[in-house]
Amino acid sequence: MMVKHGIAASPGVAIGPAMVLGVEAFRIPRRFIRADTVESELIRFRVALENVCREIATNEKMASEQIGKQYGAIFGAHLQLARDPRLISEVEELVGKRHYSPEFAASQVLRKYARQLQSLGNTYLAERAADLFDLERRILRNLLDEQREDLLHLTDDVIVLARNLTPSETAVLDRKHVLGFATEIGGVTSHTAILAGALEIPAIVGVGHFLAKVSIGTTVILDGHHGDLLIDPDDETIARYRDAAQKARAIAARMLSLGPRIAETKDQVRIHVLGNIEFPEEAEHCTERGADGIGLYRTEFLYLAGAHDRTEEDHYEAYRAVVDRVGDRPVVIRTLDLGADKILAAKDDRYDQSINPELGLRSIRLSLDNLELFKTQLRAILRAAIAGNVSVMFPLLSSLLELRQAKMILEDVKEDLTEEGIPFQSEIPVGIMVEVPSAALMAAEFAREVDFFSIGTNDLIQYTLAADRSDPAVAKYYNSADPAVLRLIRMVVRAGAEHQVPVTVCGQMSSDPKFVPLFVGMGLRTLSTTPHAVPEVKEVIRSLPIEHAEEIAATVLELDLARDIEAFLRGELKRICPDLAE
Amino acid sequence: MPSTEIDENMTRRTVTVMLNNGLHMVPASEIARAVREFTGHLVIRRDQVTADPRSVLDLLQLKAEYGTHLEVEADGDGAEQVVDAIAHLFAINFAAERSVPAPEGGDDRA
Repeated sequence: MMVKHGIAASPGVAIGPAMVLGVEAFRIPRRFIRADTVESELIRFRVALENVCREIATNEKMASEQIGKQYGAIFGAHLQLARDPRLISEVEELVGKRHYSPEFAASQVLRKYARQLQSLGNTYLAERAADLFDLERRILRNLLDEQREDLLHLTDDVIVLARNLTPSETAVLDRKHVLGFATEIGGVTSHTAILAGALEIPAIVGVGHFLAKVSIGTTVILDGHHGDLLIDPDDETIARYRDAAQKARAIAARMLSLGPRIAETKDQVRIHVLGNIEFPEEAEHCTERGADGIGLYRTEFLYLAGAHDRTEEDHYEAYRAVVDRVGDRPVVIRTLDLGADKILAAKDDRYDQSINPELGLRSIRLSLDNLELFKTQLRAILRAAIAGNVSVMFPLLSSLLELRQAKMILEDVKEDLTEEGIPFQSEIPVGIMVEVPSAALMAAEFAREVDFFSIGTNDLIQYTLAADRSDPAVAKYYNSADPAVLRLIRMVVRAGAEHQVPVTVCGQMSSDPKFVPLFVGMGLRTLSTTPHAVPEVKEVIRSLPIEHAEEIAATVLELDLARDIEAFLRGELKRICPDLAE
Repeated sequence: MPSTEIDENMTRRTVTVMLNNGLHMVPASEIARAVREFTGHLVIRRDQVTADPRSVLDLLQLKAEYGTHLEVEADGDGAEQVVDAIAHLFAINFAAERSVPAPEGGDDRA
C-alpha cells in the first residue's frame, strides 16, 4: 500500500478501481492495432501531430515575445522536429506496415533517435535527447487525450486519476460511474475543485507526481475529507474506510434531517444561510438542505461547457430554472467570472496573450471589454428577475470606475429592453463581490453606490497574500485564517454596517464550520456556503450564543499568526459542536 | 573524403562548422526550415555519414562539432539556391548562435 497526500477539494470517501488518464510518464495503452484500422489510426496520428505543431507554435510565439527570441528559437527547433519528414515517415511506416499503434510507433522512433544522440559521445548533443522526450510526451499526450472521451462512455465505477482535469472535463464527469478523482496539480479553490464540490464527487487535487506509480485497475481509496489517496490498500484498511464512510453517511443523514430548521443562534439572532451553486439543478440540493436562498449563482458553466455561443435565451432559461426552483427566496446571480484566456482565446488572438491570467483580463474586466457578451447576460438576468427575488452581482471590482461603468451598461440594457417592450425587473438590486484588496480598502466608498456586498474569500486571500491558489508549491502561503485577510473582512463588515449595506461572505471560508462563529461574532448575518455545508453551518449557528461568537471575534483580533488563529478556531468549534470538529 | 561517384551536374560546397557547441538542435532546425520545400536530391556529408538536411533528426546524427568540414551536395531544380542558402547559414554562423541562452538560471524574470 502507498499513501499520497493532496489537498482535500471535495468531501467524501470513495473506494474503487483506478482509471489513469493522460499519464505523463506515459503508459501506452495498446501497442498494436487491427489491420483494418490502419487508415483511421494514421489520421489520428496526423491530427495529433497537427495539434502538437500548433501547441509548439504558440509556445514559440509566447517565449519569443515574453522572454526573448533565443528562447523562442528552442521551440522553433521543436517545431522543425515535429515536422521532421523522417520522423513522420518512420512512424507512418510502423503503423501502416507493422500495425503498431501511433502511440507505440511514435515512442519507438523518438526513443531510437534519442538513444543514438546519447551514444554519439558528445555531451551537448546527448542532452538534446531531452528535447526528443519532450516531443514524445507532447505527441503521446495529444494521442491519449482523445481517449479522454472514454470518460463519457463509462460502464463501470472508477476513480479517475489524472495529471489535471480542466473545468470543462470536470463538468461533464459521469456522476454515476466516477466515484471520485485525484489530480497531480491544482489547488482547493481552482475551478476544477469547485466543480467537484458542486457535483458532490469526492476529490483531491495537488497530489504531486504519482500517476507513474499507479497501474490501471489498482484499487484506490480516496479520502476527500483529509486529502489522502491510498493506492493498493490491504483488506483491513479497506474495511476500516468502508466503516468510516458508513458513519459519515449517518452524520450526513442526521444533518440533512436538521436542515429545514431555522438558523438562529441560541439567543435567537437570525442568521441567513444561503447556498452557492454552479448548475441550475443544484438549487434543489440547496432547498433540500434548508438553505434560505441562493447567495451565489455562478454563471461560468454557460461559457465553458458548450461548444457553441450561448444565446440570450440559453441564459434566460438557465436563470429561470433557478428562480422557479427557489420561489420567493433570494437568488444572487453573478455575472461572468472567467479569464479571457479561458473562453475567448480560440476566437480572438488578442485574448490569447495573457501572461498572468489571474491579474489579466478576466471577470468584470472582460465583460467591460466585450459589451456584447455582457449585455446578453444582463438582458437575460433582468428578464428572469421578474419571476422572483433576484439580484445581480459584479465580480472582481478593483475601483469605483468599473462599478460605475457596469451600472451604466446595466441602465443602457434596461433602456433597450424598455424600447423593445420586453418585460424586465427595473428595480433589481446591484451588488459587488469584494475580492480585490483595493475594493475592501474602499468599502466605505463602494457602500454608497451598491445595494449589497458579498465577500469572495477565495480571491481575496489570493490577492492579499500573493499566493496562487492553484499552485501546490505555494499552497502553504494561501491561508484563510491570515490576520490580514480577516482585517479586510472586518473593514467591509464595518463599512456595510455604517451605510446599511448588507454583507455576505460567499467564498469557501464560509463553508468551513470553524469560521462560522468568527463571522457571526464579527457581525455577519448572512453566509453563503456550498450546498452540502448548509446543514453543518446551520448546526453551528444553532449551538452558538451570540456573546460567545463576539468573544471569539475579539480574541482572534489579538492573534497575529494564521496558525494560531486556526488552532484557536478549531478548539472553539470543538467546544461548540464536537460532532463537526475533526 | 567523398566516396560517391563524381557527377558533373551536382552542386557541391564545403562548409565548416564554427558553432561552439557544434551543429546542435537550434541551428539544425534553421537549416531544415530553409530547405524543407526543396524536393530534389540533397545531402550533407561528414566522412561516411550522410544526412538529409530537411530532417533535424538526421542532421544531429552527423555529430558535427566545432571545426568539422561538411560537404553539401544537391541536384535538381533550384539546387544552386538551396546549397547557397545552407552555405549562407554557415557563413553568418546561424542566427541563434549569436544569442545562445544560458542553459539554467539565465531566466531572471521577477
